[in-house]
Amino acid sequence: MSRSETDRPRPKTVAMIYLREMRDQLRDRRTLFTIVVLPMLLYPLVGTLLLQIAQFTQQHAPRICIIGTENLPAEPALVVEDQLAGDYDEAQGNAKFDFYEWRQMSRDAAVSEVARRFVQRETYDAVLLVPPDFTLQSSDSENKQPVNSLHLVTNPGSDGAAVATDRIYTVLGTYRDTIVSRRLLKSGIAQEVLTPFSVKKSATDSEGGNAMLWSKLLPFVMLVWAMTGAFYPAIDLVAGEKERGTLETLLCSPALRSEIVWGKLAAVTTFSTLTALLNVFSMMITSTLIFKQIGLDPTGGSFGPPPVASLLWLLLALLPLSALFSALALAVAAMARSSKEGQYYLMPLMMVSLPLVLLPMMPGMDLSMGTALIPVSGMFLLVRALVEAQYLQALMHLPLVVGVTFGCLWLATRWAQRQFEDESVLFGDGDQWELRSWVRHLWRDRQAVPTPAQAFGCGAVILVGLFFGKLMVSGMPSDLAGLTRLILTPQIGLILAPALLMAIVMTTSLRQTFRFRMPALPALPIALLLGFTLHPSYMTLGQWISDVYPISEQTQAALQPMSDLIATAPLWHIVLLLALVPAVCEELAFRGFIFSGLIRGGGRMRAVVVSAIMFGVSHGLLQQSIAATVMGLMLGWVALRTGSVIPCLIIHFTNNALSVTLSKIPEMGITGSELLVATAADGSAMYQPIWVLMASGLALTCLAYFYTLQSNEDAEVAEAEIGEPYPSDPGLQPVA
Amino acid sequence: MIHVENLVKTYDDLKRGRFVAVDHVSFHVAPGEIFGLLGPNGAGKTTVLRILSTVLRPTSGTARIHGFDVDEEPAEVRGRIGFVSNNTALYDRMTAWETVQYFGRLHGMTSEALDARLEELFDQLRMNDFRDVPAAKMSTGMKQKVSIARALVHDPPVLIFDEATLGLDVMVARNLLQVVRNLREAGKCLIFSTHIMREVERLCDRIAIMHRGKILDTGTLEALRERHDEHDFEDLFFGLLSRHEHSPNDFSETTS
Repeated sequence: MSRSETDRPRPKTVAMIYLREMRDQLRDRRTLFTIVVLPMLLYPLVGTLLLQIAQFTQQHAPRICIIGTENLPAEPALVVEDQLAGDYDEAQGNAKFDFYEWRQMSRDAAVSEVARRFVQRETYDAVLLVPPDFTLQSSDSENKQPVNSLHLVTNPGSDGAAVATDRIYTVLGTYRDTIVSRRLLKSGIAQEVLTPFSVKKSATDSEGGNAMLWSKLLPFVMLVWAMTGAFYPAIDLVAGEKERGTLETLLCSPALRSEIVWGKLAAVTTFSTLTALLNVFSMMITSTLIFKQIGLDPTGGSFGPPPVASLLWLLLALLPLSALFSALALAVAAMARSSKEGQYYLMPLMMVSLPLVLLPMMPGMDLSMGTALIPVSGMFLLVRALVEAQYLQALMHLPLVVGVTFGCLWLATRWAQRQFEDESVLFGDGDQWELRSWVRHLWRDRQAVPTPAQAFGCGAVILVGLFFGKLMVSGMPSDLAGLTRLILTPQIGLILAPALLMAIVMTTSLRQTFRFRMPALPALPIALLLGFTLHPSYMTLGQWISDVYPISEQTQAALQPMSDLIATAPLWHIVLLLALVPAVCEELAFRGFIFSGLIRGGGRMRAVVVSAIMFGVSHGLLQQSIAATVMGLMLGWVALRTGSVIPCLIIHFTNNALSVTLSKIPEMGITGSELLVATAADGSAMYQPIWVLMASGLALTCLAYFYTLQSNEDAEVAEAEIGEPYPSDPGLQPVA
Repeated sequence: MIHVENLVKTYDDLKRGRFVAVDHVSFHVAPGEIFGLLGPNGAGKTTVLRILSTVLRPTSGTARIHGFDVDEEPAEVRGRIGFVSNNTALYDRMTAWETVQYFGRLHGMTSEALDARLEELFDQLRMNDFRDVPAAKMSTGMKQKVSIARALVHDPPVLIFDEATLGLDVMVARNLLQVVRNLREAGKCLIFSTHIMREVERLCDRIAIMHRGKILDTGTLEALRERHDEHDFEDLFFGLLSRHEHSPNDFSETTS
C-alpha cells in the first residue's frame, strides 16, 4: 500500500522522538527512582540485612549436652573437669558443651526421656547419650556383645540441630581418630596405614572460578532486570500517553508511525539496558564487599568481581536482548488503553519470558545446535561459552544465535509497529465489554470467513484441548481398538470439532472458511508427486532432529507398544487411521479455518508462520513438533500459492501414508521398490541415498511449479481490511 | 483547499454491529473561510476530522487537503494542517517553549526559522509569561494557548479545530474564537467543529449540520434559514434533527 511505502523512518526524526522520550522519562521522579536510586539503595540495604543475619547465625552457638560422662573411657580422656579436653578445642568451635552424669539424670525419669525433653524444649540443640555399659570395641574384646554405640538425640525441626550435629560429629570423629592412632601405636603399626593417600583440594585459577559463577548468575540477574526495566517505560510511553491524550497529538504531527515506534523503542531499550546495568553493578559491588566482610563464600571458590572480559561479552549480548524485550513490551503495552491495563497485559508476557531466562540456569544446559535455536536462552548460553573462554564453541553457534535473536527482534518490532498502525488498537473506545452483546455481535456480524482473532481463538482452543486431552490418557493402548480410539478422539474431537463448530457458529461460508476451493487442475497430481518426493527429505529432517534433540529412552520405551501395534495392524486400517484422518482433520483446522482467518488484513506471512507453529505445537513430542512446524511452513506456503486446502490435504496424506507404510514396502515385494527403499541392518526400512537425492530434486521442481501459481482470491482478502466486508461475499458489499 | 467526497467510515462495534460513523459525507472549504461542523455528540464530527488529520483511514471516499489525498500521502497532509482538539493533550513534563519547539522540529523547521517563529507566536498569543512553565502546572487557558501555538508553529494553510472550546471558561473560549477569526483574516482555511450553536452563529461562514454520520444540510447561515423557513437557529437545528430521526430516507434525498 502506498501508505506503508512512504513509511521509511528518517533517522533525524527518530532521534528527535528518542531524545524527547528520554528527557521526559528522566524528568519523571518515579522512573528515576526505580531505575537509578532503587538499585543503588536496594542492594546495600539487602546487604546490611544479610550481614545482620550472618552475624546472628555466627553468634548463635550450638548448645550440646553429653549425658553419661562417667561412662566414657578414662583414657584417652574426652572430658576433663567439665570441659572438653584441650585436643578438641578446634573441633569444638563455638559450640557450648554441658556435661551430666548418667546417675544424676536417671534419678527421676528414664534418661532417654530426659534427653527428648531437652531437645524438645530447645534447652539443647543436641544431646549425646553415653549409656552405662558403653565400652570401646576392640579385637581382643572378651565381652561378646559390647554396647559400643552412642546415642544422639536431636529435634530435626529446630534450626540449630544441623549445626550441633555437625559439631558433635567433628568432635567424636577426632576422638575416634585419637583412639585408633593410640591403638595402632600400641601394636607397632605406623599411623600412616590409615591414610594411604590424601586428597588436596585446589581450585583452578580463581579467575576461572569467578567466571563460572558470574557466567551463570550475572546474565540471569541482568536479563530479569532488563525485562523489568523495559516494562514500566513501555507502559508509560504508550499506554500512559494514550491515557493522557498526548499520543493523538503525536500521531497528527508529521512524525511517521514507524519513526514514533523506533524512537520509543530506542528509549525503552535504553532504560531497559540502564536498569540492568545499574542493578548488576550495584549488586556486584555490594555482594563482593559483603562476602569479604563475613568471610562467607557460598560458591566454594572466591566471590571476587567478575573478569572484565565477561562483563564486556555480557554487555554485547544485553543490547539485542533488551531491544527484544522492549519491542515485545511496547507492542503489548500498545494494546492497553491505560497504564493500569498495561500492567495487566505485561504480567503474562513476563510469565512467558521467564522460562527462557531460567532455562539456561538449569544444570546440564550447554550451547548446542538445539539450545542455540531457543530465543533468549541461546544468547544466554552463548555468553556463557564466551565467558568460559570456549571460543570455538561460541563461534560455531554464533550465526544461529544471532540469526534467531535478530529474527525475533525483527518480528517483535514489526508487531509493535502493526499495533501502532491499527486504529482499533489506538482509538479503541472504552466500551464496557458485556458477554451478552459480545455473543450477539459474534452471531449478528458473522462474516464469510473468520476474523484473525477468531483464528487465534480456534488455535488456542485446539492446543489447550490437546494439552488436557493428553493428560487424560492414562496408558498406551493394548489393542487395535484402543489405538483407534486414542487417535480418533483428539483428531476428531479436539482438532476438527472446534474448527467445525466455530465455522458453523461464527462464519457464513463453510466452503470459504475451510478454503475448499478447486485449485488449478495440475496442482492436484503435482501435490501428490510432491508428497511422494518430499518424504525422503522429511525423513532425513526427522533423523537430523532426533540427532540434535535425542528422544529420551523413557519416551521411546513408552511409545514402543504403540509402534508394535502399528507394525502388526492391517495396512488399510493404519493408513486410514494415521494418514487419512490426521490429514483431513489437521488440514481443515490449520490450513482451513485458522489460515483463512489469519490471512485477512495483510497477514499472508502471519497465516503461514502462525498456522505452522500451531500445527507444530499440536504434535505432543518436541521432536515431532519441530518437524511438523517445518512441514507446516511448507504446507502453508502451498496453501497460500494455490488458495486451497486440497493440495495440502493430498501432500499431508501422502507424507503420513508413506511414513507408516515405509517399513512394509520391502515386504510387499513390489518390483522396483528395492531401488527406492532398502532394509537397514536393524530391520528398519530406509530410502536409498540416490533416491533421497533424486526425490529432493523432483520435490524442488514441484515447489517451483507452485511458485508460479497465484491465488487472486487470497490476494484480495489479504489486501482488504478486517473491518471491510469480505470481498467475495455478496451479502456484505458496500451499498453504492 | 479541503475537498471531501463521499467519505465513509465504518467500525465493528460490539453493541451496534457494523456501525457507520461517517456516512457518505461531502463538503469543501475554501481559503479564508471558516467552515462549521455542527452536531450533537456522537454525530461523527470527530471521526471526520480525525480522517482529515490522517489519524484514521477512511473506509471509502476521498478527502484531499491542499491537493494531497489523506489516505495516499498522509505525510504531506500532516505537514499542511494544524490540529487542535480537546483530545490532543500536552506533555506534562515539558514547558510551553519546549513543546512548541519540539513540534516545530518534527515539522522539519531549521533552528533559526524555528526560533524566530517561536518568538513571534509567543508574542502574538501572549504566552511569554509561562514560557518555562511545565504543562502540568498550567491553567486550562494556558494549555489551550500552547495547543494552538503547537498547531500553528509550521504556519499551516489548513487548521482544524475539533471541539476546541470544550471545557474552557468563557474568557478563554472568547479568546480562542478571536484567534480563529484572526486566522481567517490571514487567509487560512479553517474547519471548526462544535456542538455549541452560538459559536457557529457568530463565527462560521458556512455550516454543515451533522447527525448520525450524515450531513443533513449545509450552507451559509442565511441560506439555511431561508431554506427551512426558520429564523431561530436553535429551532432550525432541532427541527432538522427530529425530522431526520423520524424519516431518515427523506433527508438523504433532499441533501443529495
